[in-house]
Amino acid sequence: MIVRSRHDEATAGRSNDPPVLILTSLAAGEKHGYALLQDIEDFAGVRLGPGTLYGAISRLEERGLIEAVGASGRRRPYRLSPAGAEALRVALDGLRAIVDVGSARLAGRPAAVSPAGSAA
Amino acid sequence: MSPDRTAARLLRLYPPSWRRRYGGELETLILDMSGGGRVPWRIRADVAATGGRERLRAAGLGGDSPDARVRGGASLVLWAWALFVVAGAIVQKTSEHWQQALPAGSHIATTVAFASLIGVAVAAGVLVVAGIALTLPALTRCVGAGGWAQIRRPVTRAVAITAGFVVATAGLVAWAHGLSPRDRQGHDTAYALLATVWALFGAGTLGAWTLAATRTAARLTLPASLLRVEARLATAVTATLGVMAAVTAVWWVSVATVAPPALTGSLGSRGSAFVPQLVLAMVLMLAALGLAGAGARRATRALPHLAGDD
Repeated sequence: MIVRSRHDEATAGRSNDPPVLILTSLAAGEKHGYALLQDIEDFAGVRLGPGTLYGAISRLEERGLIEAVGASGRRRPYRLSPAGAEALRVALDGLRAIVDVGSARLAGRPAAVSPAGSAA
Repeated sequence: MSPDRTAARLLRLYPPSWRRRYGGELETLILDMSGGGRVPWRIRADVAATGGRERLRAAGLGGDSPDARVRGGASLVLWAWALFVVAGAIVQKTSEHWQQALPAGSHIATTVAFASLIGVAVAAGVLVVAGIALTLPALTRCVGAGGWAQIRRPVTRAVAITAGFVVATAGLVAWAHGLSPRDRQGHDTAYALLATVWALFGAGTLGAWTLAATRTAARLTLPASLLRVEARLATAVTATLGVMAAVTAVWWVSVATVAPPALTGSLGSRGSAFVPQLVLAMVLMLAALGLAGAGARRATRALPHLAGDD
């Protein structure tokens, strides 16, 4: 289960939020549903369900963050819109800030010691 | 079952408008992921769950943006209030004439509880009407801008159901005039059956209007300031539902302590306090209270994230 962010998920997502994963995947170029799922599994190790994917696609398209390419079809590709690229930038900045804080805090901690006394 | 039929059945869980736009693509994806074999249960569960969420969104109850969460939360409270009205009607009908059935001098606590219930019910109704009335300017703008086509279906359906309910009510009243009070109290089986169907029809009419209201609200452009007011009204309505559930419980216990048969308007001092209709009403009230609590919480928690008014 994916817990919802308190913020708008398209602009302040978590690393495993379907919208952020979709925007990240489309940043490499246009893709249809199946290609999106495979790419997301490859780079994030997250296997989205088809319903979850299209639920997120409909929301992203509604907000103008992605666009369908070409005429209607059963394997219609999508691409990132300029607004989508900006939303992804904002989301990644948010994630980067968490990574930076987490890394700095971990660096300031003494190394974990195992019960046997050796450093883990 | 073939994967094509399974996919087609799963797609029926989605609202028609969503299906028209994404149905073909999702169906193809389901089939691609199934590799020509049976559709795995994991995929079925995922598609079904998303279908439910899309239905909720279409009914004005779902959505992730702060705006949608306030509307969805307030709409959930409206549904809870409608459910509470049905529960209240069951209490009222079951306990008709309870005052006359209670022994003399034992009325005070129960009368105060019952009067409080009526008073708070009126206050809840006023709050709900105020919440709806505040959206009327936006509704007028929406209709003026050609939005009628989007809200026509649920509204015309509610009007048609209401017309049927009015006709059914007139027929039932006409029949009731020819019956004795004893027959009207359930001794005429045919009348009792028809009265039950009429009550369900009434609940359905209330449900149709609630659905029309929530679907319409989902399509209105509402400023953040109005959404804030709606969220607070939703919280206030939830509070009144809580008070009503508590007061109903107090009334029930106080009548049951003195003369349980009075709970159904009957005379005597012995009998069971667990009247099935009242148990059902209390279960509905608690369910409505839970629903309203969830709705008010959803609306209130989205408030800090609402954009300011332009």
